[in-house]
Amino acid sequence: MLELITPLFLTLIVGGTIVGIIFGSIPGMTATMAVAVCLPITYSLGLENGLALLLGLYVGGISGGLVPAILLGIPGTPSSITTTLDGYPMAQRGEGEKALRIGIVSSFVGGLISLLVLWLFAPTLADFAIKFSYVEKFLIIFFALTVMAALSSDLLMGIFSGFLGIFVALIGTYDISNGGNGKMRLIPPGTEYWMEDGFSLLPVLIGLFGLAAIFDQAEIGVPRGHSRDELRVKGTSTFSLSVFRGQIVNLVRSSGIGTFVGILPGVGGSAASILAYSNAKTFSKHPERFGKGEPAGIIASESGNNGLTGGALVPLLSLGIPGDSTTALLIGAFTLQGIQVGPLFIGNNPDTWNAMIFAMLIANIAMFVLMYVAIRYFALVVTIPKHILFPVILMMCVIGAYTINYGIMFDVWTLLIFGIAGWLFIKLRLEVAPFIIGFILGPSAEVYFVKSLESFGDVTIFFTKSWIAALLWVLIAGSLAGSLILSRRTGRTAPE
Amino acid sequence: MGFLTDVTIDFERSHLIFPTIIACVLAVLGLAILVRDRHRIAGAGAYWSGVLGRMDKMRFFGTLVLTLLYFSLMVPVGMIWPNTGMGFLLCSIPFVFLSGLLFMHDRTVRNIVPVAIVSLVAPPFVWWLFTYPFFLTLP
Amino acid sequence: MKLNRRTLLAAVSTVALVAAPFAAVAQELPRNVRMVIGSKSTGGDTYQNSAIVAEALSDHLGINVKVDAVGASAAFKALDRDKRGTTIMVFHDQSYLGELYGREGYVDPFANYTVGATVAINPGNAYLVPANSPYDSMEDILTAAANGETVRVAIQPGGVSEIGFSAMKNAAAVRAPGSEKNIVAVNTGSQSDKNQAMWDGLADVINGSIQANEQFTQLEADDQKAMKFVWVTARPGTLEQAPAEGMGGTDRDALLRYASPQTSVTLDGDTDFTFDKEFFFLFNKDMDPAIITQIDDALTEIFAQGDIQERQKSAFFIPNFLPSDEAQKHLTDKRDTYGKVISQIQGDS
Repeated sequence: MLELITPLFLTLIVGGTIVGIIFGSIPGMTATMAVAVCLPITYSLGLENGLALLLGLYVGGISGGLVPAILLGIPGTPSSITTTLDGYPMAQRGEGEKALRIGIVSSFVGGLISLLVLWLFAPTLADFAIKFSYVEKFLIIFFALTVMAALSSDLLMGIFSGFLGIFVALIGTYDISNGGNGKMRLIPPGTEYWMEDGFSLLPVLIGLFGLAAIFDQAEIGVPRGHSRDELRVKGTSTFSLSVFRGQIVNLVRSSGIGTFVGILPGVGGSAASILAYSNAKTFSKHPERFGKGEPAGIIASESGNNGLTGGALVPLLSLGIPGDSTTALLIGAFTLQGIQVGPLFIGNNPDTWNAMIFAMLIANIAMFVLMYVAIRYFALVVTIPKHILFPVILMMCVIGAYTINYGIMFDVWTLLIFGIAGWLFIKLRLEVAPFIIGFILGPSAEVYFVKSLESFGDVTIFFTKSWIAALLWVLIAGSLAGSLILSRRTGRTAPE
Repeated sequence: MGFLTDVTIDFERSHLIFPTIIACVLAVLGLAILVRDRHRIAGAGAYWSGVLGRMDKMRFFGTLVLTLLYFSLMVPVGMIWPNTGMGFLLCSIPFVFLSGLLFMHDRTVRNIVPVAIVSLVAPPFVWWLFTYPFFLTLP
Repeated sequence: MKLNRRTLLAAVSTVALVAAPFAAVAQELPRNVRMVIGSKSTGGDTYQNSAIVAEALSDHLGINVKVDAVGASAAFKALDRDKRGTTIMVFHDQSYLGELYGREGYVDPFANYTVGATVAINPGNAYLVPANSPYDSMEDILTAAANGETVRVAIQPGGVSEIGFSAMKNAAAVRAPGSEKNIVAVNTGSQSDKNQAMWDGLADVINGSIQANEQFTQLEADDQKAMKFVWVTARPGTLEQAPAEGMGGTDRDALLRYASPQTSVTLDGDTDFTFDKEFFFLFNKDMDPAIITQIDDALTEIFAQGDIQERQKSAFFIPNFLPSDEAQKHLTDKRDTYGKVISQIQGDS
């Protein structure tokens, strides 16, 4: 084990983390893309060194997403959507730096907790994860979907937007590799050539958040000056660890949720931060503050998505099954070297396993130190004049959209379509956050719902399958009741 | 209770089940919104003419047109030098420059020079980064 | 300073690239080639195989070959748009199986594209049962079907994962006409879904692979995740070329026991059904045939040198180079055989 830890090994982890942070912090670039881009390099590096690089990229990529989410209101990666909800309002009222520090600390804690879980309980948890059949997975997704209600500022419009998101996500082919029958539906006649695979998540996301923001600014004439004049990064409210007082439960719960979502194959990485956020809101004493710049929201979201990193490695290393799209690529790194991943991996390759845990630990520390030091440079982004920043952001969005599926021009057009849609949404009072959450979770909700019925042939299965299902119903009911009560209390249902 | 809750799913038609359910929910919610917000919807014409009236039309439609041109030209230009990312590079430079000019308020030389520099430096740098170290395909 | 140097570098290479197309000769692969593949995953077998071949071609011909994991439908579209040979495709048997199974978006690749050289085989396609299953072999399964027992098989429909299932039904029909109705599909998606279907008790047999499932066969029998192989669909000639140590705790001889002729799933009562997942090139129909010759020649030399075989074997692929004309004949025959199996069982049910 010790002989594996060479200067090269450490350099690769730190280098990977840096590149990962850069990928994560550019709107449109994701951790998955960072890993995909660097995967071919790993062949010549050997297994442990290759993994060191990839794990650094993974941790860095997931963490970097919080930077544009907070400073620009554009989630750098799908898993930082919920970070924008409270991070951006904080930045707008001059607490950008504080928000960044909260996010980074939460990411670090989330990463460490999930790493600990991975290290101690990987095989046991994998055995638990396989108790989740289609039914339980559907209920988890359903639970995550209830956050649509929690995120709505106008309950009716918000839920409508969420279902619209699900609907738009269903356009295209019922994906055969997820268990669908490969047939097309909901495609506007004449557009089959382009729409066969539907809209991809990433261009939809950066269109709705990035392009729409630019159109919105263009509409009001791109007010002169810096991108956020009102944004004084060094605001009056400075960061201290006391922000976390009373948030320990939130921090641990969110990290745990993130880890657990990672462990369940096929639930999807973005669900981690969404579930963590919705739980934090449900259990908060001040749910009405969420979405308006509540530090607890950032804590939940960021510890949730970094909690994913360790969790997603559990099924990979103890079942040979990836927990999210990034770890799916890691399988490639193993097979390239002729190493099997499956239930015997940890026992057969203890050195590689320990090296991986160590690499994740170093990557988390490196991420924390690097991002903490870099905060002042990140903050420079907001001092760039808008007329320079916006064109460059748009160009980066184009690259992100074009390269996400390795060169599909329709993804670039998707960007424009959803840029315009996002602008229209604001005008029509539709809500972007529930829409994108519906869009992300829609396809899994469909597969697990339809497959549950297909396999068990009885609608009561959703209630009777297992104690896990029953528990999930309690959580779903709690979350819905929470949103309804809150909506009554603040009288949000009547916007006029 | 078994036979009441029994469902049989025909796999060949299973791609229509969920879209149908979601469409029904959307219809119900849409109807509820129509009823609740009928006054607001009735005033939609005035609302939109207000939006258009307040809008900075030059910048808004200018952005739209520039983006459309940018996206449409990328592929044809790229086809001249296949798989080199030239379409992206050659279209990004004028796009960054022109949209920079469009968004700018005081178009003085002092302001234009930085935009010109950024538009000449940023796209080639990004192009180089993605074409060589990252080895990705650009249009 | 650093930025300036990079920019300068970019500018210089830009000039070089702009000049390039005018210097290129028409009958050869261009300097920059895009290899699209029928899979969206950069961690999967199609990508790995294509990356190995792309790298070898790049080195040998001194050109750039980039592999883009765009997925089947986008890959075929990219091929349609490009007659100049700047886009080539690598895919496997799914390209024609999709059409044979009538999947939307698939066309006959032999009629609409030019099929080129084969490069490798993934010999891993396999079928497994739970370790505590009453079935120990394909013989048990087919006998059970003949005795009227329903056997549920988890597959991903419409391609490579279904072809072995179709063969099982066909064999059941040959052995005991009518018994094929007792072998039913459980339509799932990824390998994870198929495993889960087994653990949930929704399937008696699952489609899997040697690479992804071998470790599950090594678990203690009382582990709920434990499985055992019942069938490896590869041709015996293919498996014999696999490394003698096989995969994990299952050596080559053990694997051979699950493959024809020791495990027999009959095609017509005389010969056994076999299936090898082969990777091959696809080109635009109107592309200059000289490019195909160039690729054939280059591959012939690359395979003669022998390095590529080592690389393929280390990732558990079986080297299988056939130049275009032989590959076309071989793959057309293969397609016709499977076409018959599929149409027969569809006619029956």
